[in-house]
Amino acid sequence: MIVVSEDEDESDSSPLLFLGQPVYESVLNINHDYRYLRMGYYVSAHAETYGVEVTPSCTEIMDAYRNPLLIEKARRHGLLAGNYSLITKPRDDLSGPVMLFAVNPFTNNSMKIVRSDRRLPGMIRKMSMDARFPVSLHPLLGEVHEIVQMFGESTFDEASKFTERFFEIFNIPICKLVVQIDDGDVILNHCEPALKKEVKWDIVHEKVHEIGMKKQHENSLLC
Amino acid sequence: MKIACFVEAYNFNNKPERCALSKFKSTAESMGHTFEFIFKDRISEIKEYDSLFIRSITDPNNSAYIVSRLAEQAGVRVIDDPHSIRVCSNKAVLYDLFLKNNIPSPDSLLFTGDYSGENLDRIFDTLGTPVIIKTPYTRFSSHVEKAHNEKEFTEISKKFLTKSKVLIIQEYIHSDFDWRVGILQNKILYMCKYRIPEGGWKVKSKINGKNVWGDTIALPREMISPELRKICIDLSKCVGDGLYGLDVKETINGYKVIEINDNPSIYEGYEDTADKDIYEKIISALVS
Repeated sequence: MIVVSEDEDESDSSPLLFLGQPVYESVLNINHDYRYLRMGYYVSAHAETYGVEVTPSCTEIMDAYRNPLLIEKARRHGLLAGNYSLITKPRDDLSGPVMLFAVNPFTNNSMKIVRSDRRLPGMIRKMSMDARFPVSLHPLLGEVHEIVQMFGESTFDEASKFTERFFEIFNIPICKLVVQIDDGDVILNHCEPALKKEVKWDIVHEKVHEIGMKKQHENSLLC
Repeated sequence: MKIACFVEAYNFNNKPERCALSKFKSTAESMGHTFEFIFKDRISEIKEYDSLFIRSITDPNNSAYIVSRLAEQAGVRVIDDPHSIRVCSNKAVLYDLFLKNNIPSPDSLLFTGDYSGENLDRIFDTLGTPVIIKTPYTRFSSHVEKAHNEKEFTEISKKFLTKSKVLIIQEYIHSDFDWRVGILQNKILYMCKYRIPEGGWKVKSKINGKNVWGDTIALPREMISPELRKICIDLSKCVGDGLYGLDVKETINGYKVIEINDNPSIYEGYEDTADKDIYEKIISALVS
């Protein structure tokens, strides 16, 4: 297994070097940002072109980062996720309080919480860029938290079981999750890249080391 | 069967495309199916259909990707499938695919912003002058420019790098036309010449400040040369079994594939003039 990361201490290859070479082994792609057209995405795409197993795959990246795909996949796997509707323009039957997430190519960190009905139409128009792109609308039910997830580990103890299950389903090594806590339940609303400074890199290093040791052990059994 | 056709308002702006969409609908209905246009506010309803045909511009960042993936997950037959969208929409991924599968194509390099003299020398020594600079998300000849020297190269690439981490640099191949070969389920569907307009160097060229498209000349698919057929089928199999449009240059050194596109344009009076059964074949693929 090759570990590809910008962190020289833990990687076998930097993303840039990796992209210039053929790939023959499985790949663990460590990045805080896997967005489409970013280096984190290209590493996974390059590995897939060469037909090797890669964590995360491009499908997994897109499933996590595009809000409707995230929610549908979570539900299919029994992970509690918010009810959402995709809208492109204000409607009479919509009312606050709600969380809004832009589903367009340009926006990151797009969450907006709108509590007043009066402000909702204007915010929908703005986030949809005047009906050019959909907006994902989630009802606001409880306390909103942003959690950084690293190989199933969490920066928020109350959600540790949730993030563990999230990683099992989505296979994204590092990301930021937007969740609500409602009556003790953790409800998934959104997933986006974590900022580099938000990631607990000591946890990431430990996990990468563990995975490396496990792979080594598996290989020794095969030999 | 119930066929959904995912479109955006702009798909109805020009008459040839509008007429082609209308032809898809009437063909499907004459074959006993329903054919309904759906827009992005109805993406969540896709599970209610048996198949999905995407005609709006596809890109992993667009609504089209979401509807495609939702359809795939729901077991709805889909053209274009998410994998084809991810591969064909990104020219950096295509560069890799061509290299890995030995697809004959123009000499190319990836560029990520190394302006050292050594790297610039390597680019021009390998590719000659002028060179073509492309962003990964180029379509309809946009975000593709030609640089005749290091100064132009630096100006253009710096502008493109503000929007993309990776650029594709290619040798320039002069030609009067590009072959456009339409492929469906790994069979030749149609074949055209997309002519380069006089005074331009790409199919859509800026001439005297105006965007000018070259003519489209359709030829019967039986006329395709065995060599071109093999290259096109081999490449389409590397991507999947959907609907693709391949752009190929014919040179004295043989054919060179420029790109493979998912979601190729089909306009009435253009791609459909030689092989008129393309509507029927696409509908059949959607319901098979």
